[in-house]
This record gives sequence, structure tokens and C-alpha cells, in this order.
Amino acid sequence: MNTPHYTLLQLNGLLREAIDTALPDEYWVEAELSECRENGGHCYMELIEKDEHSNTPVARASAKCWRQTWTMVKPYFERVTGQPLRTGMKVLLQVYAQYHEAYGFSWIVSDIDPTYTIGDMARKRQEIIQQLKEEGVFDLQRELRLPTFCKRIAVISAQNAAGYGDFCRQLEDNEYGFRFEVTLFPAVMQGEQVESSVISVLNSIYERIDDFDAVCILRGGGATADLSGFDTLALAENVAQFPLPAITGIGHDRDESILDMIAHTKVKTPTAAAAFLIDHMFRTWKRIIDAEAYISQHVNERIRFQQQRISQLATLIPTLALRVLSDSNHRIELLQNRLPIAIERRLTNQKHRLERLSILLQSFDPQLLLARGYSITLHNGRAVRNPNDLHPGDEIETRLEKGTIKSVVKR
Amino acid sequence: MNEEDVKYEEALAQLESIVRKMENDELDIDQMSVQLKRAQELIKLCKDKLTKTDEEIKKILAEK
Repeated sequence: MNTPHYTLLQLNGLLREAIDTALPDEYWVEAELSECRENGGHCYMELIEKDEHSNTPVARASAKCWRQTWTMVKPYFERVTGQPLRTGMKVLLQVYAQYHEAYGFSWIVSDIDPTYTIGDMARKRQEIIQQLKEEGVFDLQRELRLPTFCKRIAVISAQNAAGYGDFCRQLEDNEYGFRFEVTLFPAVMQGEQVESSVISVLNSIYERIDDFDAVCILRGGGATADLSGFDTLALAENVAQFPLPAITGIGHDRDESILDMIAHTKVKTPTAAAAFLIDHMFRTWKRIIDAEAYISQHVNERIRFQQQRISQLATLIPTLALRVLSDSNHRIELLQNRLPIAIERRLTNQKHRLERLSILLQSFDPQLLLARGYSITLHNGRAVRNPNDLHPGDEIETRLEKGTIKSVVKR
Repeated sequence: MNEEDVKYEEALAQLESIVRKMENDELDIDQMSVQLKRAQELIKLCKDKLTKTDEEIKKILAEK
């Protein structure tokens, strides 16, 4: 029995019928893009599903998005996610099966749901953030202190980027006339090479780190700018552990990138980064000006106070000096007055004493006794008190009130 | 000691001492006239110094 032979076209035709019958609908499928390229307005993708743990592919298929669909889906996807479809992205596609006898099997994409991709990106970001925190580097930049005089700036930017020009112009034209020294370290700031390019430039800056006060990572660009390059773990780790404060101005107006989260300071645009540096310098300058004003005011107050004190004292001095003089005069006059009084009193006392003595003396006058009838017997001019002192024949003299008697002692 | 060299406060202290002694009858009569003479000298000394100082002060204050 001969088994019938099919032509390939016949057999493939059977397969097509089977597929059309078995898979007549459109399906939503989650997959990762392992390849993605545009050609002739169509988009050709390679879909892959990896084993969750081993990361080895467990399913693989081609997918196509025809121009008619792609022209509508692409801008919508990029507007919502902020970046184009690219390798490594997780996507949710609406597909239907197509088998062509000559070109084989392919899923035809009729729609893409960008919110799924956003969710996936957000989850990846979250994982990176979590890891940075676990490594203890997430807050390192914010522990750095921007130098008081922050004027030597290393800039990481694309060579001829408009944003870098804006930054330089803004710094140059600052209204206070501050001078900044800007050194450009050119790097790729878009696409997949951002990570390796910026890291290598950071290494160059690190080699002459003493020449700089801060690093600015700058990038101008519109709303649709692809910032996914700034959301990688390795770049975040490098910037987080960089010893100089990093200021990011990577123009965007959607969610901040991971780089922004770990940076010392993040601003929206390169112009804003320049404004931040100028403002920082202005605050330093203001501190100096304020200190100067404070010192001069303080010194003036002290001088005024001392002048007041001196003039107060000056008005007191004449009065005080004259008072001291008049007090002294008064004191001497008092002393002078006391002298004659003391002397007068002393002399009067002595006079009284003399008078008392003279009265006392008078009371001893012998004339008073004679007048009262007493007599005094003298021998050789001395008063005779004892008869035994006399001998017979001695001549004695008897003094009476009114005269003297001379006699001779008989016995 | 030269009279000019005697400090005002010392002169005053001497003068006060003499007056106090006189008032307390601590001086001999024999010393009285000597001490009185000394007191008069001290009074003159003090007054002269005061007068001189007064003139100097007024002169200094007038210079302002």
C-alpha cells in the first residue's frame, strides 16, 4: 500500500487550515522582545519567553506588525511609555495566528498595550531601587555636602547637546558675576550605551577628582526622550558611590529616573542645574555679605555705646571734681575749727586746775592760824614741835598775829 | 622732708592726728604750741594743694 505523497504546498496548506480552524480568534499574549526592527514601515519582532529561574528560553516565535497598524500603535506606545519598543522589553500584544505556505508561521500584531510595559518597567525600577537600598548606597549621595564654594564643575553631557549649551550660557550670564570653571566630559546620553559611556566618563573624572567640586549629568530633550538608559543598576551604583556630589539635569517631565533618585540634587533641565549652582554660590556670597553687615553694625553699636558712656562720665567729672574739692576744703575747715576749741578747752582746764591749787595753798597759810590766837615757836628759823629739841639758854622766837616775841629757854 | 613732697592724704592724716590728740588731752602743754604750729603748717599745705588742684581742674575742664 502506497502512502500518498503531498507536495510541501499541499501539506503546508493543511497546516494553514488546521491553524485557521484551531486558532480563529485574536489573543492577548505576554512576551519579551528578543529582537525588534523596523523595515519598510513594518515592524518585525522576535518574541521569547524565558524560564523564570534558569532564564533559558522555553518558547519563541516571530511576530509582525504591518505598517497600517504600526503607524498607529508605535506613536501611542512611545507617548505612553516614553520610549520605543526595544530588545529586552516585556510587552503585551494582541495577536492572531498567520501561517503562510511560503513564509511560515508568524503572529500578526493588531494592538499593543503599553500599560503592561510601563508596569513591567516600574517593577524593574522598583527592583533596582530595592537592591540599591539593600547595598546601602541609595542615600550615599545625599550624605555628601556641596562645597561652600562650588565652582569647578565636571559636566557629563553629549558633546554638542543644546542642553549643555544652555547650561554654559546660564552659568556665564549669571547676574552676580560669579565665575565657574566648567569641564566637559563627553558621553553618550541616549540609548543602550548610556550606562557604559557614563560609567567610563565617571572613571575619568575620578582620576582627577581634586580638580572638581561637583559633577553635573546633563541632557536636554523633549517629553518623548528615552531615559531608560538612566535606569540601570550599574549606572546608579556608580553615581551613588561617586565621592563628588552629583547634580542631575536630564530633561524630562515624567517620572524621575533612578539616577535622579540617588543623585545629590536633581533638577528638571540643564538650565535649572546651572540656576541651582548659581543659587548655591549666591547663598554663600549672601552669608559673607550678611556677616560683613553684622560685624560692622555690631562694631558701630559698641563704639556708640562707649562714646555715650564717655560723654556721660565727662558730664559727671566737673561736678564730681568740684565736689571732691569742696568736700576737702570743708574737711580742712572743720579740722581747723576744732583746733582752737581743743586748745581753748585745754588751756581753760589748766587754768582752773591752777586756781584750785592756789585756793588749796591759801588754806595752808600760817597767818590764818596766828589770827585765830595760835602761835608758832621757832628756833633757828625752824618750827619747834618737841620741847626736848630745846636746851636751857636757847633763844627762841614766838610768832603771834601781830608781832614776834624773843625769849630764852630757862629749863 | 620737703613740704612739697608731703602727699595731701598724709598731710591730712597728720592734721587729724594732731586735732584728735588735742581733743583727747593726749598732748603735753609744753608740746601744744609746737603741735599747733605744725597743724597750721599742715592746714596751709592742704589748702594750697587744694587751691592748686582746683585751678588745674578748672583749666583742664575749660580746655574741652
